[in-house]
Amino acid sequence: MIVKLSDNIVSPLGYNSIDNYNNLCTGNSKLKLYEGLWDIPEPFIASLFINEELDYVFNKHIPTNKLLTKFEKIVILSAYQAIKEADIDASSDRVIFIISSTKGNIELLNTSDNRIGNNRLLLGTSAKIVSEFFGNKNNPIVVSNACISGACAQLLALRLLKTDLYDYAIVIGADVQSKFIVSGFQSFKALSMNCCKPFDKDRDGLNVGEGAGTIIFKKEKDNNISNKDWILDNGAINNDANHISGPSRTGEGSYRALTKVIADTDIDKIAMINVHGTATLYNDEMESIAISRAGLLNIPINGLKGYYGHTMGAAGIIETILSQYSLNNNIILPTRGYSELGVSNKLIISNKTIETKKREFIKLLSGFGGCNIALLYKQGGTIC
Amino acid sequence: MEDLILKLKQEIIEVLNLEDVKPEDIENDIPLFGEGLGLDSIDALELIVLMEKNYGIKLKDPAVGKEIFKSINVMAEYIKNNRTK
Amino acid sequence: MLGIKNWINLNSSSVFFKGTRIATDAYGKDLLVSLYRKYINGYPKFFKMDPLSRLGFVACELLFNSEKVETLQTDNLNEDSCLILFNKSASLANDKIYNETIDNENYFPSPSVFVYTLPNIVTGEIAIKNKIYGETSFYVIDELDATTIFNVVSSSMSDTNNNRCICGWLECSNEDNFNAILLMIDKTSDTLFNIENLRNILNYK
Repeated sequence: MIVKLSDNIVSPLGYNSIDNYNNLCTGNSKLKLYEGLWDIPEPFIASLFINEELDYVFNKHIPTNKLLTKFEKIVILSAYQAIKEADIDASSDRVIFIISSTKGNIELLNTSDNRIGNNRLLLGTSAKIVSEFFGNKNNPIVVSNACISGACAQLLALRLLKTDLYDYAIVIGADVQSKFIVSGFQSFKALSMNCCKPFDKDRDGLNVGEGAGTIIFKKEKDNNISNKDWILDNGAINNDANHISGPSRTGEGSYRALTKVIADTDIDKIAMINVHGTATLYNDEMESIAISRAGLLNIPINGLKGYYGHTMGAAGIIETILSQYSLNNNIILPTRGYSELGVSNKLIISNKTIETKKREFIKLLSGFGGCNIALLYKQGGTIC
Repeated sequence: MEDLILKLKQEIIEVLNLEDVKPEDIENDIPLFGEGLGLDSIDALELIVLMEKNYGIKLKDPAVGKEIFKSINVMAEYIKNNRTK
Repeated sequence: MLGIKNWINLNSSSVFFKGTRIATDAYGKDLLVSLYRKYINGYPKFFKMDPLSRLGFVACELLFNSEKVETLQTDNLNEDSCLILFNKSASLANDKIYNETIDNENYFPSPSVFVYTLPNIVTGEIAIKNKIYGETSFYVIDELDATTIFNVVSSSMSDTNNNRCICGWLECSNEDNFNAILLMIDKTSDTLFNIENLRNILNYK
């Protein structure tokens, strides 16, 4: 079995998982309006780090003379804390680093700082800076599957740990925001000028966000698994084969992925589906169709973009960790921003906390390129 | 108007990379979207950029674009009445 | 056991099938257009694609056409096909093109360029053309490395129970400078899909 050993979230809402979770429980968000930032003519709403605060926290935890970008700092800060908690030797050749990011250091295209060097624009080179920072000599792998990368990185960890190659996988997802990304989503008319409203009848687009999340996985013998361990049971990636940016009208890939991950499980044991829920018109509708087609309309759903915005390569990891924390506390977190159902299928969704005793959940994501992923997580006690 | 229509067709062919299409292949009064040229949602967004870049017309709401991009005639008429450059 | 059914090596100046060179008459981005015109056609969307997608699209179509894989033409059988691609530069060739559209002096962000600023869009383009509903994945690594590619592809294939996979290296540093080495692997072909055979194909000059 592949179990989660430790985790961390570094976001504008806090620098560890507990702080992030507590902020969500009280309904907090750092989404706010930015005008004129990065010379972007149109204002936008985003959840961004306060850079001075980030630097302060980074320097407090990690004294280093190495010149690092903001992206590399949040990756290292998140991984550092998770490694410390897991108490493993990250430099071992039995450890593989898997990094999930869509745009990494893309802002280096526009900076004239020669000290960092243009080769760090390359995701693989930047990933090596990270793995070598921890003394690891294996070639790190970067997953770059648009918005589903964070969940794909977990699935890759599961697959690689099933082989004899590694005992641990350190999976880190991160993205920082920039003029590059924000201008692009603006040109797509995809950004909302309000805090986003996933699945709501008034939803009109997404917000963007920054963050990093880390999950460390361990290969574990079945009889060593405790009731509290989170097990990554299985996952599936499927393409819509329909359009490179528009979600499928039949939810094709998402439906197929959902069907595969639940094939060998009792769906009555599933507490919730933590969905993508970007709050664009078409994504949320597509997810409702996929969930309905998969026969899962009786399972409560929630989405967390109303707290963080869309954190791109980090989303799959941050949202997985928070789903686990909430089920540890027997609750399903509210969908911030939601008030009235605005999709065609009757989903169970709420802006209030829902109680549950169930111990399994599905993480669902979809992204540009027509890609979709579903992961099924189970907590130890339900299996043994 | 004839000049504007021809110029518009050339611009559309260029920004939408309609490689094997010539201006005379695009009829003035048939729908731009749907069958014909095989345009999609990304092309519609790109036409919004064209309107602003070449004619100084800002279309905030993509739904408005849907009306304006009905045909070359409708588009040219809208540009004639609203252009700022 | 996984076997290698066929492979293609397409770079800026030449095309090889299983090591046999086919005649070409152009270089760089013109080579891709010339291959499209000669062997593919009827897919005007090709001209809307970014450099990386054009490369992947042409390489894949040639690979499919060379084998006449009948099952890839029908709808339902394609769930068990997947695409697993790797490179070094991600979508950087196109990222630079998009970046020019957001210059402060001439700020008109282009949605049709932005959409290609993700390396996995090429997997979407190939999936759309061939109705592949199976897994599509894109990975970025520091250098072309047969071991990493083998480990990821073989563990993915055993996990998904997919019967067929297009995998390999799809690198494009700019529109005239590229290298695609794609393999079609399945469960029936005789040439074993192992690190040694993969390395020989990836290093083939």
